[in-house]
Amino acid sequence: METFYLLMNGIGTALVPFNLALLIFGCLIGLFVGAMPGLGSVNGVAILIPITFIVPPTAAIIFLAAVYYGAMYGGAISSIMLGIPGASTAVATVFDGRPLAQKGEAITGLTAAAVGSFVGGTVSVILFTLFAPPLAKVALAFNAPETFALMVMAFATFVGLGGDDIPKTCFSILIGLVLSTIGLDLISGKPRLIFFDIPGFLHGVNFLVLAIGIYGIGEMLWTLETTKGAVKISSISFTFKDVVLSVKKLKGTMMAMTIGSFLGFFVGILPAAGATPAALMAYGITKQLSKNSAEFGKGAVAGVVAPECANNSASTGSMLPMLTLGIPGSPTTAILLGGMILWGLTPGPLLFTQEPEFVWGLIGSLYIANFFALILNVALIPAFIMVLRVPFAILAPVIFVLCVTGGYAPTQSIHDVWLMLLFGVAGYILRKLDYPVAPAVLSIVLGPLAEKAMRQSLIISDGSFNIFLDFTIKPIAATIMYIALIFLFLPLINILKNQLFPKKA
Amino acid sequence: MNLLKKVAILFVSFSFVAVSTTSAKEFAPKKPIELIIMAGQGGGADEIARLVQGVAEKNDFTSKPLIPINKPGGSGGEALQYVKAKSGDQHTILITLNSFFTTPQNQKELDINILEDYTPLARLLTDTFMVWIKKDGAKTSGINTLDEFLARAKQGDLVMGGTGKMSEDELLLGMMRSMFGFDAKYVPYSGGGAVAKGLIGDESDFTLNNPSEQMGFYQSGDSKALVMMTPKRNPAFPEVPSSHELGYPDLEYYMMRAFVAPADIGAEATKYYTGVLHDVYMNAEFQKFNIDDGKLLSWIEGYGLSDFFAVEYDKHTEIVAAFN
Repeated sequence: METFYLLMNGIGTALVPFNLALLIFGCLIGLFVGAMPGLGSVNGVAILIPITFIVPPTAAIIFLAAVYYGAMYGGAISSIMLGIPGASTAVATVFDGRPLAQKGEAITGLTAAAVGSFVGGTVSVILFTLFAPPLAKVALAFNAPETFALMVMAFATFVGLGGDDIPKTCFSILIGLVLSTIGLDLISGKPRLIFFDIPGFLHGVNFLVLAIGIYGIGEMLWTLETTKGAVKISSISFTFKDVVLSVKKLKGTMMAMTIGSFLGFFVGILPAAGATPAALMAYGITKQLSKNSAEFGKGAVAGVVAPECANNSASTGSMLPMLTLGIPGSPTTAILLGGMILWGLTPGPLLFTQEPEFVWGLIGSLYIANFFALILNVALIPAFIMVLRVPFAILAPVIFVLCVTGGYAPTQSIHDVWLMLLFGVAGYILRKLDYPVAPAVLSIVLGPLAEKAMRQSLIISDGSFNIFLDFTIKPIAATIMYIALIFLFLPLINILKNQLFPKKA
Repeated sequence: MNLLKKVAILFVSFSFVAVSTTSAKEFAPKKPIELIIMAGQGGGADEIARLVQGVAEKNDFTSKPLIPINKPGGSGGEALQYVKAKSGDQHTILITLNSFFTTPQNQKELDINILEDYTPLARLLTDTFMVWIKKDGAKTSGINTLDEFLARAKQGDLVMGGTGKMSEDELLLGMMRSMFGFDAKYVPYSGGGAVAKGLIGDESDFTLNNPSEQMGFYQSGDSKALVMMTPKRNPAFPEVPSSHELGYPDLEYYMMRAFVAPADIGAEATKYYTGVLHDVYMNAEFQKFNIDDGKLLSWIEGYGLSDFFAVEYDKHTEIVAAFN
């Protein structure tokens, strides 16, 4: 009951006209920042931090949380409409969002993204309200061996991601893993794979450079080849009836929503993971468990809903370790954390009792921000749809410019722009040869996390792999590891079954 | 006569030109200033960089905005190379930490000479290190003093969480190893916050965190500090003894928070940026934040800072050599 009272107070704080105005303004900025490739919530929040020195801390965090939240919604827009991930968190949204738009169902894609985001955001903020302190303990118990087990599970679900061609998928995963080891070795600090001694490789290969190259440039080359540059205008009429109709199409995505919301939240509360891995994992697991997994990658609505649910859910989840432990759960919360310290607050176990107005004001604002982000997003669908009326001859250069800025922005180095173009050409060739590229994107995101967790665990265990497999040493890690192995062998068993007992055609 | 007049006019006009050029030399930035951070987002250097940016912005200390840019690659090697290549650029400054001394030594291929490739501006702060254990740690429960801890550590089975290979805390572990004759297993994490969490999550047995990194757990009573590696106690941690009073004056180590600019930016620009940093340093909000956070305000500028860099560089050469 006390929680309820505190929550109502918090929502009250968020609804004070000044705070509410900041919240709506923040959501709008977030939508824009999220939709612009190369500008993600990390940059958005970092750029806006200085502005928050002129308002009280509670108003400041409400504003920044709204930007963060809005960006999770906004990332989906360019992923679906242009096929370029607007933000790192929306990479998985491209996998099915883009094919949906190409089938002429952009409205369904956008609605699915908005509703999925809303569901994920709401479920996570409720979980946050009810279970924040006990969940903080879970985050503490989740150390290196557990993290590695979870990463293995993510990879296992992706073996089935590239259709039925398992060798090609494994090849794609391995390419991604090799790219992820470029740069500085996480443990020894020594440079690895610095090709031709080019200093730009020292900071590694940013996965957005890969994703924008493969999806933005590669896709554009593909379109050029298939349409021969023919001017194509899809005339799509838009009424709100279409939105209502597309909401109805979401009926079959309950499972995607559940997986996205809960898995996203859980991955979010693990320090240092964040919304990008959460969205990729939710996509992979939903696909594995779905009855129509063959449709994934060709425009499955559930394939948009799952990652969008997960990235919003994870963004709320990642605030939990930030507030209760003082450890950021994602790059964006790392910046928020810096902001909180500058506002004179000490994040940590005592924050909930010492600064209730701040904490509950933030939680309350998440409820409200979620609501407004949904309204804004649906209301703006007609504007986003306009993109489809732009002839390809005009759109292609615009996409190209967005790709270049998107490749440049994360590290501000021209080296990455060249690399992005190179990946674009490579992505196009891989696509011609029918290699799936999504697994490569996944492994460049998860590779460094998995590698670090594995090596930390092995240092602790003196090199013994039992730390991952023995129930008496790390019960949680072992449980996850065995589930992961089941996921890994499931497609193989299916293939074997089909070989031994061929279906009658 | 005529010639003399001409010469006189020429002389007078020359001196006018000379006067007007000196007054035009007063430097003011013409475009946004890049504030390069040689570490990742959310870490200690990042926190200070954003604090400086915030205080400068709020009080209009600079006429153009400061844009923080993180370049953490190669233990700061990427940032050092970037700023070195900007020689003569008056719109870039770099916030440094102790990797300013160690990275050029560990990565000789970077070809960096910290005394020649940069213009020293000012050191604002120094951070100290403390020995931390968990309140009821599996292997450290009941330990309350540094001597009890050292006796336990000599059994050789403790795990220390740290911020990465050859980073400050691993060098410090090396110092303690030769001083006290104990060894520990070193597990690297990404950043001081993750190190602190590893201690509370029972993954490591002790850490050598900065004060601010453990502040939250310290205040909630989850972690205990055994010693502060300074001559005197710190007002933010009144009950934690200093290494000098425990009789270990050699156990002293600092992390600096200093700013440098590219080489050859000229005296006026150097004066300008040093002035801006001094304004920030004297700001009451800046001072209160850092004192509460357990940091030491320790301004030095100009030649004093060059001398400090030279001394610290040599000291780190010794530490690194001893470590290897």
